[in-house]
Amino acid sequence: MNFAIETNGLSKSYGQVRAVDSVNLRVKQGEIYGFIGLNGAGKTTTIRALLGMIRPSAGSVKVLGQAVGPNGRGPWRQVGHLVERPAAYPELTVRENLEIARRLQGISDIKATSRVIERLGLASYADRKAGTLSTGNLQRLGLARALLHEPELLILDEPANGLDPAGVVEIRELLAGLAHEKGVTVFMSSHILTEVDRLATRIGIIHKSRLLEELEAEKLEELRSQRLEIKARNLEAAQSALAQAGFAVKANESTIFLNEARAIDAPDEVATILVNTGIPPTRLAVEQENLEDYFLRLTGEKA
Amino acid sequence: MNAFLSAFWAETLKARRSKISVLTAAGFLILPLVDGLFMIILKDPVRARAMGLISVKAQLTAGVADWSTFFGILTQGTAIGGAILFAMITAWVFGREFSDHTAKELLALPTPRGIIVGAKFVLIALWLLGLTLMIFVIGLGIGTAIGIPGWSIELEWSSFWSLVTVALLTFMLMPFVALFASAGRGYLPPLGWAFLTMALAQIAAVLGWGDWFPWSVPALLSGMAGPRAEQIGMHSYILVLLVFIAGVAATFAWWQSADQAR
Repeated sequence: MNFAIETNGLSKSYGQVRAVDSVNLRVKQGEIYGFIGLNGAGKTTTIRALLGMIRPSAGSVKVLGQAVGPNGRGPWRQVGHLVERPAAYPELTVRENLEIARRLQGISDIKATSRVIERLGLASYADRKAGTLSTGNLQRLGLARALLHEPELLILDEPANGLDPAGVVEIRELLAGLAHEKGVTVFMSSHILTEVDRLATRIGIIHKSRLLEELEAEKLEELRSQRLEIKARNLEAAQSALAQAGFAVKANESTIFLNEARAIDAPDEVATILVNTGIPPTRLAVEQENLEDYFLRLTGEKA
Repeated sequence: MNAFLSAFWAETLKARRSKISVLTAAGFLILPLVDGLFMIILKDPVRARAMGLISVKAQLTAGVADWSTFFGILTQGTAIGGAILFAMITAWVFGREFSDHTAKELLALPTPRGIIVGAKFVLIALWLLGLTLMIFVIGLGIGTAIGIPGWSIELEWSSFWSLVTVALLTFMLMPFVALFASAGRGYLPPLGWAFLTMALAQIAAVLGWGDWFPWSVPALLSGMAGPRAEQIGMHSYILVLLVFIAGVAATFAWWQSADQAR
């Protein structure tokens, strides 16, 4: 199978520090791959290795079927990237910054710059110096540079950084549209897990330099734990009624939690028990663990 | 060729939009202006004292007010001032990519890194040539306006080529400044290197080894050290050429293969 990104035993050390350790990534064409991890987990180092910016200490990197590096070799005409915080020449306007990128990308179509300015909503800032842009607009400029040459693979490090809520939604829709309509592969790192949760079709979790898990979004749905959450006016009485009915009850000050399958599959039976005991529930809901909780559980950062 | 032209266009745009192009031109312009002032003083020291241009006690040892002295001061100023000013330009052209964090945007592109580095060196060469021509032409205008004696077309040409040779030799010492700006990721390491080599050049010249120390060669050739300039020989030019080749090769190699982890 042809992968858009393939790493085999990718490792990078800086002196004694192992920044990335034996990472085997497989990103299929057309996928939106969410690469998640805590700060310092190795996300940016991995991205830099994918782009040939650093030499792996061990292992190999293939992007769009082509081996990356050394000497900056790679299929860069087909790859758009945004690494860490976006940077631009501050004394140049947005248009001039993109014009430099257009020429260095070898794009002969001079309208490409105007098109991407429109697409990223930068038209009213086109003639403004990049040094005066807000963080959000600088991020848009970075994304515009990544999309300028209409690449088939986007490698984006924290694409939602600095964007306002409307901007986050806009960029999410833009990336989803590119993947669905044009078959663009998107590899994005993020620590905003809700963002990844909404967008990614496949997720890789990196923790302490190692790739802990790589799984489809649907599979993740199955793996996330569920629980039944119950509220009642008399919480103590409800707790003892459910315990008498044989449930393993957990609770905090305001809510009772039942993690067993028989409670999750049949919340109506739980409701019946409570009603029959004279303590009708005020709230009864099956809640699914979100990606954040799953991530923290997997990485052992939260009990 | 297209890739080079694109990279060169990008480099010139950055230079044109920055204040440093105006600042370096203004800085270098001081040379012919001060040179002209010296000529006014040397032409008539008594009048210069009366006008308050120099203090009563001042003794000018620059020579006599003629075109030979005028061109000599211009060339010596280029050797010394150029070493600093050219280093500032080189440090800016390379160091700004790290100071502004834009280096990472130049690494994974269809335009090879080597072409971008090459475009930077060509820009620096043309920039320095432009500044050198500027001070020569303006110097001619100032000298003519002051009416200093002793002009001849032969003197003008030989002085022009001396000035261009000194500027060229100074430029050939710049690739190491570029290397320090790249490996040091900013402005301070290359400027530190420039000041260090300037100081070492002085020491080498005083010890009489200047002709063997490439960073002393432009100043010695400009006549800064008086008769010691006679020491400059083919070996001195070869050493400067070797430093140039080593600096260019090291800068290219660094951009090609160094880890860009920041």
